[in-house]
Amino acid sequence: MNQGLRWNFDDLVEMAVTGRVSQPTLRRGGYVHRPDGVGEMLPGMSGIMYSARVGDRAFGWAADHVEPGVSIANPDERADYALHYLTCIGNEAEVVTGFARGAKGVVTGEHARLLVDFAPEILDEMTVGDTVQIRAQGRGLKLESHPEIEFKKTSPSLARALGLQEKTGRISCPVTRELPARIMGSGAELNAEFVDQDLMSGDRVLMTELGIDQMRLGDLIGIRDVDHRFGRSYRTGWTAVCLCIHGDSVMTGHGPGILTLMTGPAEYLDFHIDAGANIAHTLGIRETA
Amino acid sequence: MTAGNTLSTNAADIVAVSAAGHVVHPGLPGLPAEPYRLAADGTPFLLPTYGGIVYNVSVGDRAFGWAADCIHPGVSIHQADDLKNRGLNVFACVGNRAKVMTGGAAGTTGVVTGKSGRFSEQVIVHFPREARTRMAVGDQVLVRAEGRGLSLADHPAVSLKGISPELLRALPADETDGQVAFGVAASIPAHLVGAGLGLTSEGGSLHMQSTDRALLAELGLDRLRLGDFVALEDTDSRYNHGYLQGARAIGVVASTDGPRAGYGPGIAILMTAPAGQLAGFEVPEANLVDLLDLDE
Repeated sequence: MNQGLRWNFDDLVEMAVTGRVSQPTLRRGGYVHRPDGVGEMLPGMSGIMYSARVGDRAFGWAADHVEPGVSIANPDERADYALHYLTCIGNEAEVVTGFARGAKGVVTGEHARLLVDFAPEILDEMTVGDTVQIRAQGRGLKLESHPEIEFKKTSPSLARALGLQEKTGRISCPVTRELPARIMGSGAELNAEFVDQDLMSGDRVLMTELGIDQMRLGDLIGIRDVDHRFGRSYRTGWTAVCLCIHGDSVMTGHGPGILTLMTGPAEYLDFHIDAGANIAHTLGIRETA
Repeated sequence: MTAGNTLSTNAADIVAVSAAGHVVHPGLPGLPAEPYRLAADGTPFLLPTYGGIVYNVSVGDRAFGWAADCIHPGVSIHQADDLKNRGLNVFACVGNRAKVMTGGAAGTTGVVTGKSGRFSEQVIVHFPREARTRMAVGDQVLVRAEGRGLSLADHPAVSLKGISPELLRALPADETDGQVAFGVAASIPAHLVGAGLGLTSEGGSLHMQSTDRALLAELGLDRLRLGDFVALEDTDSRYNHGYLQGARAIGVVASTDGPRAGYGPGIAILMTAPAGQLAGFEVPEANLVDLLDLDE
């Protein structure tokens, strides 16, 4: 790790939050619509996902908003908000009920529910309703040597794994690719401490042209001219570094989920392309081809 | 203005139906939550927001500069029951006639000038200022809802989204080979489209972004007025709102600007096409007040 970086790790509180393994749900009617209106009936959100795992592709699944790993929520609304707002990417999770009790996992995303990665053999032991407990730590994280940059949902372990480089006062984060601000869509209506903002994949030609359709779950990505401090909006001269947390969608204005990790003025925060910038690798979760 | 068009439509087949709402009370979060919302720079603010009877802001007035957060001009109505409200929100079309049915202003007629989006879902109705002084929160307003199912016979690729036949006829329009163009006061680039992306395009509004004030001034967008017709570039609003190069959406500025990130003026989207079949041409006075001859 870069010696020029000074973090406040020692001041961060670590506390337990829990959620239960969710059951997929459907609205009455059940269709999601393609851009031309054609209805589709697709799986993707909630439950235990046996097929898509962090490190796998984000595009091409016969699914909508595919959530890798285990998707957990707390049935009490206020407790669920605590689960959402306190949990950080890279936090350690443990199954505390059921056959898989004692198994360890890692938080890899926050969508409508929290997404936790477990090894495939542990998924086989888990069931809907099992309780997963997370050691939540990372809220309040500061890079004291570079106070202009704001961090969101970044655990100390992720902070160490990002591979930040420092050059003459400017931080640069390795990312797999850059996304243009004009395709950032659903989630623009939310505060930036909550869940993600979908990239809009409806322009399929553009997805191929820019290689965005090669994105993987867990990829770090960079966006220029956006300010993600209090909401996510267009602002010249600001930068955000984000994480791909869920898969593509057929719906207009939707696509893979992009969760904010860092934001700051471009003079203090930059990114550079590194194909290995995926948390499956950098957090030591799994190696992919 | 001399406007209007002779575009061929199926207006003769459109059904007119009653959709009622009640004048809604403004709402704010209660204790123990803070009453503040956060501006794009994190500054807490406490300002009037959507809902209610607004006495001094009307369609035709400026959309920027008010000490308010996405305020609705005129009168906002809704139904307390979610399903009934959906009926009001989706079937009421911009340009529809509305009438006050109860209270001190009973009998007064007005016009639907917009809708608001997720988290409020209200229909915005213009009544003359004098009539507003006689209205009360809770008064029933009945909308003669007509416009759902409306289409342009010679432009099947253009989807119409909640525009009344009367308003459609009043728009300055121009037809060329395979394309229909309408008069708009301004065009908004895709990177300034904000809250509402990915959400339904059958009701509610799509907000432009206004955090980058310098860019707005440069593009002249900070001079927009409530009721202005605007084109949203590279925006596909057929089923939800989203980015698509070559697509375009045209709507009307329905609510004012606000300090929150992603929540500039709210735009009620009235039409869209995916691949160049819909265009806009600049007409500075393309505003509901002129197009529908609205009373002060």
